[in-house]
Amino acid sequence: MLSILPQLLVNSLITGSIYALASAGLALTYSLLRILNFAHGHIMMLGAYCFLLFYGQLELSFPTAVLYSTLCMMAVGFVMLRIFILPFVQSSTLLPFITTIALGTILECAVSMIFGVNVRSFPSSASSNSMEVRGVYITPFQCAIVVSALLILGTLAFLVHQTSLGRKVRAIAENRSAAESLGISVTLITYGVCILGTLLGAYAGILVGYETNIQPTMGSSYSIKAFAAMVLGGLGNIWGTVLGAYILGLIENLSIGLDFWGYSLPAGYKDAFAFLVILGVLLLRPHGLFGTRSRAT
Amino acid sequence: MTNMIEILTSDYGVHLAILVSLYLILAQSLNLTVGLGQLFNLAHVASYAVGAYATALLSTEHSASFTVCVAVSISLCAAFATLLGAISLRLTTDYFAIGTLAFSAVVSALLINWKSVTHGVLGIPGIPRPELLGIDFYDNGNFLALIGIFAVITQAILYCLYNSPCGRSLRALAEFERAAASLGKNTRRTRNIAFCVSSAFAGLAGSFFSYYLNYIDPSSFGLGEMVFILTIVIVGSPGSFGGVIGATLFLVLLPEPLRFLDISSTYLGPMRQLLHALILFGVVWWKRDKLFPQRRTV
Repeated sequence: MLSILPQLLVNSLITGSIYALASAGLALTYSLLRILNFAHGHIMMLGAYCFLLFYGQLELSFPTAVLYSTLCMMAVGFVMLRIFILPFVQSSTLLPFITTIALGTILECAVSMIFGVNVRSFPSSASSNSMEVRGVYITPFQCAIVVSALLILGTLAFLVHQTSLGRKVRAIAENRSAAESLGISVTLITYGVCILGTLLGAYAGILVGYETNIQPTMGSSYSIKAFAAMVLGGLGNIWGTVLGAYILGLIENLSIGLDFWGYSLPAGYKDAFAFLVILGVLLLRPHGLFGTRSRAT
Repeated sequence: MTNMIEILTSDYGVHLAILVSLYLILAQSLNLTVGLGQLFNLAHVASYAVGAYATALLSTEHSASFTVCVAVSISLCAAFATLLGAISLRLTTDYFAIGTLAFSAVVSALLINWKSVTHGVLGIPGIPRPELLGIDFYDNGNFLALIGIFAVITQAILYCLYNSPCGRSLRALAEFERAAASLGKNTRRTRNIAFCVSSAFAGLAGSFFSYYLNYIDPSSFGLGEMVFILTIVIVGSPGSFGGVIGATLFLVLLPEPLRFLDISSTYLGPMRQLLHALILFGVVWWKRDKLFPQRRTV
């Protein structure tokens, strides 16, 4: 039973990296606007389909496809914020949640009408033959996922904690109106951060497409998983969320990989476990594993 | 005009009337939590599913009677709601929304994966129509009478609850929690009761859903259904009793003309959902300042 453990840990690292990229953007948005963006998982799905359209169907070269997808997703992020989130932030915290649920449904229906509801995958150019390191199998692409996630999250950490821009972002998260009165251009930074979050989400979606496969209905499940990571780390706590994402990956893989007293769970229960984690955390540590008790907003 | 009357008295009209009654129960009970209590309850369809599956399993595998099935469905949903409420109602609205969302995700994962009980995506076929007091409800007309009576009873109970002391303190808590609490209103207990009653009625609706269709599968209880019921409540103006009844009639009947257009069924499902989502967004956009009053704080 324990011989499978190193493989499970590596798998958790891969899954966790994807979740971390997906939920970092969500946590950034939450920390600035205090809203739950339910469409984030659908943004991942859209990013993957965007890339599929440019790279798989129109057969553009890889850099061009990446450029076009980035531009498209920046536009989507802008429209999402401008039309579906910002007009409602002042009214009630519930409204942006409702409108992003509507946006998620609109995206899901639009994509399934254009591309069909079937499972799709990317044309794999990267070699898929796996390497064996001390009994652990890993493909070069999976290595790339883990390394790129660490690089991107590292850059994000540097930006947020070491630059003046990051200081402004943290100031807005701390107290929006005080930051505004000190002359920080709140609107511009909010747009910038949310579009960055959209791009991170889209990148995670493309990774999902390469690693497994994509379908229009995957969005809400990834949204809920990103929420799970956020709840694990404490709402609005970015690094808690990233750590929460890796823990979520670990829990998912261990729950189906290990057998409990000779009885192992079928792989389909992987998702159910992730969602049970949310309920467990709400029960035991409602402010997240790394969260402090709520501060005044 | 004669054409209209023909449609209304035909099987198709009876089918529509049954759907309207079903959604009246579902939407009005969601209105209790989302509208009156301003608790963003996303577990309503999960309760609906629990009720439907409880009835389906009891009546196919244990050939339980109508009374037993309905009673078990309702009490099972109430029990789940009490449990979920105990976990997530002590926290702020954001956490309640996430908690109920997680619960509905767990339920749909179980419906698909717990194959030995729920038969997975294949669903449960052959659910018999109920019999009660020697009357059988195999005929759709009879069934309409049954579900109609239950829908009216539900509306009556919920109407009384809206105007009861409990309903009034729920409304007060939603508008100004601290003031209501300082007047001695029990925050947790009031919200728990509302959530519990709301889920119990969802269970009742689920029970009728399986009796009516004779066949259920997990696809009927997805997020799309939740969006639809939420749209009814939002369009009908949250917290308004009559508004939700009107919105139910309007929204259940609205996509019906799509049926007569020549659209392939692969597009029809997404198109209905797209329509609901667009209506939801449009109404929220249009009424964004008065939909949920800004919570007042000192």
